[in-house]
Amino acid sequence: MRSRSIRTEHARAPDTRLRPQRSETIPLFPVTRDFVVAPQAGAATEARELWIGVHFPWLPIEALGPRTEVPRAIVELQGQTQYVVAMCERAEHWGIRPGMSLAAALALVPYLETKPRDLQHERQLLERLAARAQRFTPRVSLVPPDGLVLEVKGSLHLFGGAEALCRTLEEECRAIGVKAVLSLAPFPLASLAGARAGKTFIITEPARLVGHLTRLPLTTLRWPADVLHRLRQIGVYTIGDALRLPRGGFARRFGKAQLAMLDRLTGRDADLRASFQERERFTRRRELLYELDHHESILVTLTPLLEELGEFLKTRQCGITRLDCLLQHRHAPVTRCVLKLAAPAANAGHLTKLLGERLAALSLPEPVRAVELRSGWVVSRAPAMDALWQPGEHGGQTTAESTELIEHLRARLGHEAVYGVQVQASHRPESAWVATDLGAHRSTQASAPPPWPAFRRPIWLLRTPKRLNERDGLPRRRGALELLGGPERIETGWWDGADVARDYYVARDAHGVRLWIFRERHSPHRWFLHGVFG
Amino acid sequence: MDAHLSSSASPGVSPADSEFTPDRLGRLLEHPAIWRGRSVAQVETVATGFAALDGALPGRGWPRAGLIEILVSRLGVGEMYLLLPALASLTQRTSARWCAWISPPFEPFAPALAAHGVVLDRVFVTRGDSPEWAFEQALSSGACDVVLGWAGNRSAVSSRVRKNERSARTRAAKGLQPRDIRRLQLAAEKGRALGVLFRPQSAASESSSAILRVTVEPAEQGARIALLKSRGGQRGSIDLTWNNRNARSHGST
Repeated sequence: MRSRSIRTEHARAPDTRLRPQRSETIPLFPVTRDFVVAPQAGAATEARELWIGVHFPWLPIEALGPRTEVPRAIVELQGQTQYVVAMCERAEHWGIRPGMSLAAALALVPYLETKPRDLQHERQLLERLAARAQRFTPRVSLVPPDGLVLEVKGSLHLFGGAEALCRTLEEECRAIGVKAVLSLAPFPLASLAGARAGKTFIITEPARLVGHLTRLPLTTLRWPADVLHRLRQIGVYTIGDALRLPRGGFARRFGKAQLAMLDRLTGRDADLRASFQERERFTRRRELLYELDHHESILVTLTPLLEELGEFLKTRQCGITRLDCLLQHRHAPVTRCVLKLAAPAANAGHLTKLLGERLAALSLPEPVRAVELRSGWVVSRAPAMDALWQPGEHGGQTTAESTELIEHLRARLGHEAVYGVQVQASHRPESAWVATDLGAHRSTQASAPPPWPAFRRPIWLLRTPKRLNERDGLPRRRGALELLGGPERIETGWWDGADVARDYYVARDAHGVRLWIFRERHSPHRWFLHGVFG
Repeated sequence: MDAHLSSSASPGVSPADSEFTPDRLGRLLEHPAIWRGRSVAQVETVATGFAALDGALPGRGWPRAGLIEILVSRLGVGEMYLLLPALASLTQRTSARWCAWISPPFEPFAPALAAHGVVLDRVFVTRGDSPEWAFEQALSSGACDVVLGWAGNRSAVSSRVRKNERSARTRAAKGLQPRDIRRLQLAAEKGRALGVLFRPQSAASESSSAILRVTVEPAEQGARIALLKSRGGQRGSIDLTWNNRNARSHGST
């Protein structure tokens, strides 16, 4: 404190008034002027926020479920070798540690059960923990793969102080079956670093923070391995060591991202974190007063539920891509009617129309006693703007209506009955086109023009070539065919088993229709009809 | 109309008078109070890609909204080549809507469509056993620029598929009724879409509310197009050639 007052006195008093945060520095070394370490505004300043960092050291193994008799370990491939990342208590008892190679672990415990790491499962468990932690504060952020940070300043007095809150949170995690390490600090990254180092400190004053942080190993910040390696080579092992380095040189040699992280760690820069929000789905059930057996009356009872769903989605600016409608009967099992949508939808009218089509196609085993709607996970969706112009006039856009039409047709005709067509690079006519699923997206790439003139290929193609009758070795179809052009030889595809060897001709039948026919190159040299020119 | 004009424009003067020149007639006809049959043709159109056909059609092209009928003796006599330039120009627009093919008789061959300039991203095909429903939905949705439908092949396909269902067979045998055509025409106007209905030539004698009826017959290097009905247009036949898109017009106008 004394050094600070000296500095502000003789150096830059006016500057201090303009930018008090930046210029009030505590020089640890008198020689260099600007250090990585962040200054604190004053010893007595109270922290504006208090963060609990929660680290789950054994999350990979805990995501597997309840413990078993057999020792288990999670392994992950790093480079060429598999390393242990986490293990159960039993395996730990036998001397297995994280970072061990799989071979070493198996040498210690030959009957060790190993599983690959499942990040998706871990993410689900972490989200469950975050949802549970929201009991304490609304501001919970995920730090994947194995951490949470909670802003708890406003909640401290509700849970009997910082220590009691930490204890309750730890018990809460243990109830789910996850071991947690907690630290409390004024900044999220600092609390997390403490938790990762296994130090369960509780620091409420920013001024005391740096003193605690200096002893933590740098590995708690999870910097890239090569950066940590270079820092070790110059003898920098702890956060305190790194904070003592000059800022300019540090940024140049170890990266600006690392310097920014140090700034956030010590509160020099703000650390903004997105709060976790649990994913939602919509479920509504309605018991019917009378048993209904006609789809239109069922749709009428569903309409208020669908309108409620529309409101639910509108207020969240979200949409759904899946909607299950469950119809309950007296004896028969539940009839399920599933609606899958090409693009997130939120319009009640649109959903009602689609569901109406599906219900009309449904045959009910018994009258319906209760209806239930279950949506899929809500997904964010850009709300559509109502166009000023009608679609098609003055360039009015039609994106929303385009998918609505496709969904409407699919609801009645079936999903596969509505498809797009695209060109495929192949010389075989049957594989030169492909039926595609029509999504909301439009491919922007222009397909390359085919290597033949436009009139060389027919507009219509038969899915399977049709055998033609013959007389004297010449093809016939409702009379003799007149060959106009050809042959064009197509002989390809020997590599995938569907090889073709054909001579294609253009033929005209007695009615003036031009046909695309081919003759097999190999015996029995049969003639086939493969296409019709428009 | 001409007789009426001459009598009203110059009472007491014989038409052979030297003052009555074609130039003056043209100016007279521009008078807003004079209504001529062809002025109904102030409709939004898309060029057919054939100059001779454009000249014969009201508004110089296929209408952008409404139902047209193309009557063919058999599939593949050239009706697709007649339509492809228009399909290409419609799908190439930046604000292009869908181009729907409702239960086509065969698979549309994507490379050939692309070679003719059709943007395949805007094309979709439907199958299924209720093509009339799908045709009407696509027309009225407002999401399509063009909807192509085939009336003739339904009887062939569905009678084979559901031989047991008597009702389906009789309905298919009856084909499209004038009332159905009227519905489709209204749907096309509602959705501002061009509906193209391919029908067998036997339907030429039936009355129809389609705004344009055209027959296509194969010729040596192209096809002969005859306009059976066109609102405010000419009647007559036109010979079109596919490859170089030159055409000769002859017949009555």
